[in-house]
Amino acid sequence: MPDLWEMFLAFARLGLISFGGTNVAEIERSLVLQHGWIDARTLANGFALGQLMPGPNMLAVTHYGYAAAGLGGALAATLGFYGPTALLSAAAALAWQRHSAHPWVIAFRNALLPFGGGVMLAGALVLARTSVTSLPAGLLAAAAFLLLWRTRVNSAAVVLGAAAVGALLGL
Amino acid sequence: MSSPAVHPEDDPLATRPTPPALARMFVGVALAGIGGGLPAHTRRALTTRGWMTEELFAETFTLAQLTPGPNAVNLAAMVGARLAGRLGAVASVLGVLTPGLLAMLAVSVVTLGQPGGLPPSLQSALRGAACAALAVLLTAALPVVRVGWGVRGGAVITMLAFLALGVLRLDLLPVLLVLLGAGLLIHRPRRSDA
Repeated sequence: MPDLWEMFLAFARLGLISFGGTNVAEIERSLVLQHGWIDARTLANGFALGQLMPGPNMLAVTHYGYAAAGLGGALAATLGFYGPTALLSAAAALAWQRHSAHPWVIAFRNALLPFGGGVMLAGALVLARTSVTSLPAGLLAAAAFLLLWRTRVNSAAVVLGAAAVGALLGL
Repeated sequence: MSSPAVHPEDDPLATRPTPPALARMFVGVALAGIGGGLPAHTRRALTTRGWMTEELFAETFTLAQLTPGPNAVNLAAMVGARLAGRLGAVASVLGVLTPGLLAMLAVSVVTLGQPGGLPPSLQSALRGAACAALAVLLTAALPVVRVGWGVRGGAVITMLAFLALGVLRLDLLPVLLVLLGAGLLIHRPRRSDA
């Protein structure tokens, strides 16, 4: 049973170092490889479930916390992941009202954006290693991608449809 | 160069919401946002109620992109802070998180509480869902990559970050410090820009 305070801190760190998107690569490195709290399958399942939940799609962290340490773990993970970053954002919003755009703020944004893109691509690679284990799975992922990219279908509908296809194919 | 910040107090539209009203609004945003698009739902909810102008929302949204962490929740914290101070921020974050937290807990109890794991058909369904979730992540990544690619030196930084974190699996913090430092060097403000 992992120590809840240690879990809170680990998830707080994961929240604070995800920029402009979800940092799946680092979440896997920390939770699966470093702490061994969950396995790669739970990571992929939780991420998929998170796409179906009302609210922010990284509620996968609630699933990971529950898998690792039950209800206390779920709360420690959720509070850790969302609490500190939300506090920081609220403080930043109030500070921003006092300071107008500074040239270094623009430089910071230009430095951060390409990094954020690389972080998201790395996360996609990590998830693909677990999820795309067969040709049908690869085709299903490609089909879902085309649907999401080319049409305005709600992504929850696409995830549910893919779940139905997975059950039918016996992936 | 930049437009002056629009302050709520000199905003003609401003009817200032209370923290409980913000919490209720964000519960609705969360329920509408199954499958993503929370910022878009937040914008609609705020502008239709007349609680925020388009300019103020755009500015707040850009700022939320710059803060670490999950965007949609940071956006809720910022909107709440601007409209109703600290209590407003807390109420907004609780509002946007609570529905999903309860739903995810219920699902986790069912899926993880099975002795001997899940029935095979459900496992297959989850594998299928995971393939689509990967596609969701990719479609979210593409606009971010495109914007980052357009920045000077962006393509190189993007690829280096991808290689270091995805292929080599290096620790994020040193990679972040090195690449962010390189980016700041490339884009450091020059006197001619001022």
